[in-house]
Amino acid sequence: MAAPLVMVVLAAVTVRAALYRSSLAVFISERVEVASPLNAWKRVVEGLALLDLGVSPYSGAIFHETPLIIYLFHFLTEYAELVFMITDVLTAVALYLAIQDFNKVVFKKQKLLIELDRYAPDVAELIQTPMEMHYIPLKVALFYLLNPYTVMSCVAKSTCAINNSVIAFFILATIKGSAFLSAVFLALATYQSLYPLTLFAPALLYLLQRQFIPIKLKSKSFWLYTMQYASLYLCSLVVIICLSFFLLNSWDFIPSVYGFILSVPDLTPNIGLFWYFFAEMFEHFSLFFVCVFQINVFFYTIPLAIKLKEHPVFFMFVQLAIISIFKSYPTVGDIALYMAFLPVWSHLYRFLRNIFILSCVLIFCSFLFPVLWHLWIYAGSANSNFYYAITLTFNIGQILLISDYFYAFLRREYYLTHGLHLTRQDGTEAMLVLK
Amino acid sequence: FQDQAEQFFRSGHTNNWAVLVCTSRFWFNYRHVANTLSVYRSVKRLGIPDSHIVLMLADDMACNPRNPKPATVFSHKNMELNVYGDDVEVDYRSYEVTVENFLRVLTGRIPPSTPRSKRLLSDDRSNILIYMTGHGGNGFLKFQDSEEITNVELADAFEQMWQKRRYNELLFIIDTCQGASMYERFYSPNIMALASSQVGEDSLSHQPDLGIGVHLMDRYTFYVLEFLEEIHPASQTNMNDLFQVCPKSLCVSTPGHRTDLFQRDPQNVLITDFFGSVRKVEITTETLSLDRDVAAVESKFPEEEVATEPLKYAEQLPVAQIIHQKPKQKDWHPPGGFILGLWALIIMVFFKTYGIKHMKHVF
Repeated sequence: MAAPLVMVVLAAVTVRAALYRSSLAVFISERVEVASPLNAWKRVVEGLALLDLGVSPYSGAIFHETPLIIYLFHFLTEYAELVFMITDVLTAVALYLAIQDFNKVVFKKQKLLIELDRYAPDVAELIQTPMEMHYIPLKVALFYLLNPYTVMSCVAKSTCAINNSVIAFFILATIKGSAFLSAVFLALATYQSLYPLTLFAPALLYLLQRQFIPIKLKSKSFWLYTMQYASLYLCSLVVIICLSFFLLNSWDFIPSVYGFILSVPDLTPNIGLFWYFFAEMFEHFSLFFVCVFQINVFFYTIPLAIKLKEHPVFFMFVQLAIISIFKSYPTVGDIALYMAFLPVWSHLYRFLRNIFILSCVLIFCSFLFPVLWHLWIYAGSANSNFYYAITLTFNIGQILLISDYFYAFLRREYYLTHGLHLTRQDGTEAMLVLK
Repeated sequence: FQDQAEQFFRSGHTNNWAVLVCTSRFWFNYRHVANTLSVYRSVKRLGIPDSHIVLMLADDMACNPRNPKPATVFSHKNMELNVYGDDVEVDYRSYEVTVENFLRVLTGRIPPSTPRSKRLLSDDRSNILIYMTGHGGNGFLKFQDSEEITNVELADAFEQMWQKRRYNELLFIIDTCQGASMYERFYSPNIMALASSQVGEDSLSHQPDLGIGVHLMDRYTFYVLEFLEEIHPASQTNMNDLFQVCPKSLCVSTPGHRTDLFQRDPQNVLITDFFGSVRKVEITTETLSLDRDVAAVESKFPEEEVATEPLKYAEQLPVAQIIHQKPKQKDWHPPGGFILGLWALIIMVFFKTYGIKHMKHVF
């Protein structure tokens, strides 16, 4: 499988290099959907220039990157394009290896459940075979590298690519089973942008499953392992933050990065839900609504953990999607990461109900974003409501996509254990409804 | 004969200027444009030429699509008086009427590309009439529905004019709501001010014309126009009559005036000193000899014989200093402790993952 992967990588690198040399690069790097105040390349350059002039880059409201990014780029500014291409390739390779391992785990579990007679007799067509699972890792790498969202994000040199690669390495470490590496990468991901904190739960569930520790609240080994993992995670986080202090000898970066993410002061339009609300809200209420909006990201973790505790990787996928929909400054790069996982659940296709409408909604909205932006900002014949309408529709499309996959997944699990042809008590065919 | 010559220079001004400003746009503010055009008409009729009038109208009423009688602006109902004739010369029109442009006209700080018709080229012997109308409040006047000029700004602009010797005497008339607040802050000499209403009062409009559909004039300016129609270039009517123009019974608001900064007695100030451009020409057959004065003037200013060489450019700005003025930019480097700590951590993670036994290959 290495050769096709290498070809995919080469194709992706060619596409990106071609776009870098074309005139579209400038246009794309200024799009608000691709570059947000958190990860725009312009701001990184500005921050580094301020540093060269002897001023702390966090002194204005321009630079919101972590000190490790400063360290990474302070000598690599001329090679930025190479760095971002390599980052994308590393992400794709990490996802490839992760999904390869995951497929093995899935297959083993399936085999175990068949031997234990846990499946109903008539579900042969629902069981995944190695043949159809053979190409899934390649498809995942392909989906990530050649997704127009990823390409645009890379051409715009948005540091979202680095966030994505850290999360991909975290997923790889988790699926390989190394708790230490997984904690370290999760700490790095949380340090970069605050929201991967919610990925702690699915990672913990996966590692517990791998160690065959049952998830019961009274079990001692469960709490022991959880404490171990949590302490590894927290220690690495503390170490990384203290290390960042020594870069500039100041704690300025904490309000600039985390305070900025949490309090959302910059209301530049993006594809998220925050900007419009807070642009028109009275200051008196803004604290309350900031809390409400931010809780939205973290709120679904516990219910999903309870429902999906047997399927932590699907939980991770849903959680990643929730992060990229509800985070304070989303960009298309975040969307590209969870969309890369869609081939893994391609066996759910027969249960997806709205996939045609949703893909149409997502594609049309992606095309309408620049159109309505132009109408609003340049032509002056539209206003922010038009752009926000498209933002809303796009996010609704994403939310419906995730809930569709969630429904399809649960439905398949139900059929696996209860059989495909469900009958009611009087013998007629039953319909499965998600309540 | 000396007395006659004295009378010739009694008022102290040699030329007249007028700055007439209407600050409101939109069709329903027809009356403000009509106000300004009435004063324009009177001032022109009494002799001030277009070259000495700066007329600023914020909107076009004569050719407004809503005007049922195009190319006319009436000041009396039943279309008795059309104040927009064939020879109206508007200097600042539509969006050019801004606070910035108004202040630039007054103070003379205009870009070099401005044509002469848009400039107030007054000197220290000019009497200037400034008439402003529009919507105002306590301490401000609204321009174009989007910005304001405050009484403080106006007072400072007049002070600038005084310090630059841009006027001899200034008559300031304002017809807005709470207009008296606009002249409260003046502090420069030789300014006389009139307003249509006191602070806390509104200036009201006069008559609507049902054929045109809007109010045609404001009350104060309507009665001022009636008063001015009776003035001719040789009339001796003085300012005290202008102060009585609109009593409360006719105007509903109480017009106010301010003369404490003015050095002459208003009784001695003719209306035509500000509204007209009067040239008193007396033909004399006698010759006046001015030699006595010329000699006196010459002795006061002996020529100074100081030979100054012009400075060369290089001497004025030492080039060597300019080149080395900026400090050399140093690139920032991360502190050594940070790099050490980071790489130590990375190596520790690496060996923890892949086993400690690899370390013995390093050593």
